[in-house]
Amino acid sequence: MLHLFKYHYRSVVVRWRSTIATVLGLALVIAVFVLIQSLAVGIEKSSGNTGDPRNLLITRQGALAETTSVVTREQFNIIRYLPAVARDAAGTPLASGDVLIIVNLPRRDGTGSANVMLRGLAPAGIALRPQVSLVEGRWFEPGRREVVASRRLANRFADLHLGGKFKSGGVELTVVGLFDGQRSAFDSELWLDADEARSAFERPDYSSMLLRPATDDALAEIRKALEADRRLKMKVVREVDYYKEQTRTAGPIKWLGNGLAIVMSIGALFAAMNTLYASVGARTREIGTLRVLGYRRRSILLGFLLEGALIAGFGGALGCAIAYFGWNGYSTGTLGWETFTEVVFDFQITPALAAKGILFAIGVGLIGSFLPALRAARLPVIASLKSA
Amino acid sequence: MTIPGFILKNAFRNKRRAALCVLSVAASLFLLVSLLVVLNEFTNPPEDAGASLRIAVRNKVSLATPLPVRQRPQIMKIEGVEALTPLSFFGGLYKGEENTFFAQFAMEPEQLEMVFGEAKLPRDQLAAWIANRTSCIVGADTAKRYNVKVGDKFPLVGQIYPVDLDLTVAGIYEGTTDDRNVFFHHKYLDELLGDPGTVGMWYLKARSAEEVPATIDRLNAAFANTSAEVLAETERAFQLSFMSMWANIKVLISSICSVVVFALVLVSASTMSMAIRERLRELSVLKALGFRRHELVSFILAESFGLSAVGFVLGAGGAWLLYGSIDAPTLTGGIFPILEVTPRILGTAALVAAALGVVSSVAPAISVARLSVVAGLKTLD
Repeated sequence: MLHLFKYHYRSVVVRWRSTIATVLGLALVIAVFVLIQSLAVGIEKSSGNTGDPRNLLITRQGALAETTSVVTREQFNIIRYLPAVARDAAGTPLASGDVLIIVNLPRRDGTGSANVMLRGLAPAGIALRPQVSLVEGRWFEPGRREVVASRRLANRFADLHLGGKFKSGGVELTVVGLFDGQRSAFDSELWLDADEARSAFERPDYSSMLLRPATDDALAEIRKALEADRRLKMKVVREVDYYKEQTRTAGPIKWLGNGLAIVMSIGALFAAMNTLYASVGARTREIGTLRVLGYRRRSILLGFLLEGALIAGFGGALGCAIAYFGWNGYSTGTLGWETFTEVVFDFQITPALAAKGILFAIGVGLIGSFLPALRAARLPVIASLKSA
Repeated sequence: MTIPGFILKNAFRNKRRAALCVLSVAASLFLLVSLLVVLNEFTNPPEDAGASLRIAVRNKVSLATPLPVRQRPQIMKIEGVEALTPLSFFGGLYKGEENTFFAQFAMEPEQLEMVFGEAKLPRDQLAAWIANRTSCIVGADTAKRYNVKVGDKFPLVGQIYPVDLDLTVAGIYEGTTDDRNVFFHHKYLDELLGDPGTVGMWYLKARSAEEVPATIDRLNAAFANTSAEVLAETERAFQLSFMSMWANIKVLISSICSVVVFALVLVSASTMSMAIRERLRELSVLKALGFRRHELVSFILAESFGLSAVGFVLGAGGAWLLYGSIDAPTLTGGIFPILEVTPRILGTAALVAAALGVVSSVAPAISVARLSVVAGLKTLD
């Protein structure tokens, strides 16, 4: 049996000219499949990687996202001074009332404008998000119309570079610093002082509230207190759980990736069958020789199936390599469905995804080689030896 | 035997190969057409008849920031403005649904005929809608989808707003490019929200198409440096600004289109040249019989052209039939109201198919032209 494998392997290598088109074609199919799925993985990773497990996010009941939630100042103060909320060294509660404003800004590449999430937050809000760290410039100072932008967002919009200015809501805001959110959802945000945001954009209320309970028991206590209080009508979730849910954008992308891969692979399947049929036809005498040497029909069948899988496997691996070396970690963005703002994320080609791509290719190879392999196995020995 | 008959016989001599070849071309062209359809929906949304006169006015901050009601008398005074309605996106869920495929807007029913003139609604239904503050009108597509009739209840659960609507269907309209939308009284929304004094945006109609640009400038200038600066633009520009939010997804789809075309050319060209290579001996016989080079080349060209033409008919035609008959909003999760295969898209696909026919016959044609009769006759197949 080992000899048969060797024969097929060598045959593929020696006759590379006849299979190169199939290999490249499949490589392109798999590259497209892996790249599109890697976008969905990127969105899911960015959502799954956001937040601190110790934090609680509080929104209005019924609001699907922070942007459509409202927390009044009164509610904010009731919640902030609950005894179960942790306090910092100075005794201030670790709680931040956030204001979320969607601002429309021009893109850097001049292809129109898009919505960006502007988050107004209290100093405690920054402390509650240890994932975010300043990489350039400095933090904003309240009252001076200053904002700090995600570095990855700054690369995509015209006025968000360090020192850039933009006008929105009747005020001119200056970018004084850039932060890095370690590939979390915060990488799609602009930050400024909460009270300044409320006055500049005429918002009487906050949108949401982030706080840290003193202990794990305190967490349950806060949840019970808030959900039982009918005045408040608040929804309390762990910050990490809130962001894990924010993956609706990935749905249509997955759908697109799967659909494309299926149709493209059907096209590739027909082409691969053609190549393999021709290859069987050209090797009639070799197959006859193998039969004379004692190989059974089913061994011939298996051999050609393996050959198909091998060619497809090469193609799949090549496709993954194209996707990985060309795009892995490359930052991109699209419209986020929950927030209605631009979400920035990466092409994330994980080992699992690459394995999926190669397996998919091998599947195509096996299906495509089945009929030609059957034909090879059924060749009559004498006639095939006589053939030219 | 005639020459076309000869070409046809040749093309289908190896029926299996011809079929596989045609099918792989068809699958790739089907995909190309599908991608172009999606791309077309992204970059070129359908246009309404009345769109050239309509101006959308939103808050300059973004669509998500409302505008104050007090702007209304000021806007009406601006020269060139003929009619005006508030338009607020409600974004609710139809009872029991998790994803609702149609949009709902609060507006002023009295302004429907003036601003959205192309919506066809029976007069008595319009009167009934105006008369009943908690009623709504439903687009024909949505009415069909949920099987609702005039007089039925039409409840909507608020997601953006913390209120639910308890509507009754007063009328069913049709004739716009997106007959899915639901319209209801802005007063009803104001009442539920406790009169916040804001609207989502203003939609207005200009007196004439020539006056649109100047009216837009006047609108933008009128509210400059106020606390609610506006961005007025044509309805078309407004719709296209939505499309620009998709950002890199558009680029992604167009690059996939080119990859598909490239893969297609690669694979089909290699298959077709394979078909010719096997036939070198016959071609040398033809040469020996006195056929000229250009005749042989045109045989090859006709054959590969014919195969890709059949592939085009199957692939692009199949896509055309499919997208004409499916329920696009359900399948795409409400992203696209329709998936239309435009003549332009079919033209592009035909061009690609023709180019494919030419490209895949290049290599075999060169080898045939160079072929020496004696060498060709000697080759063992």
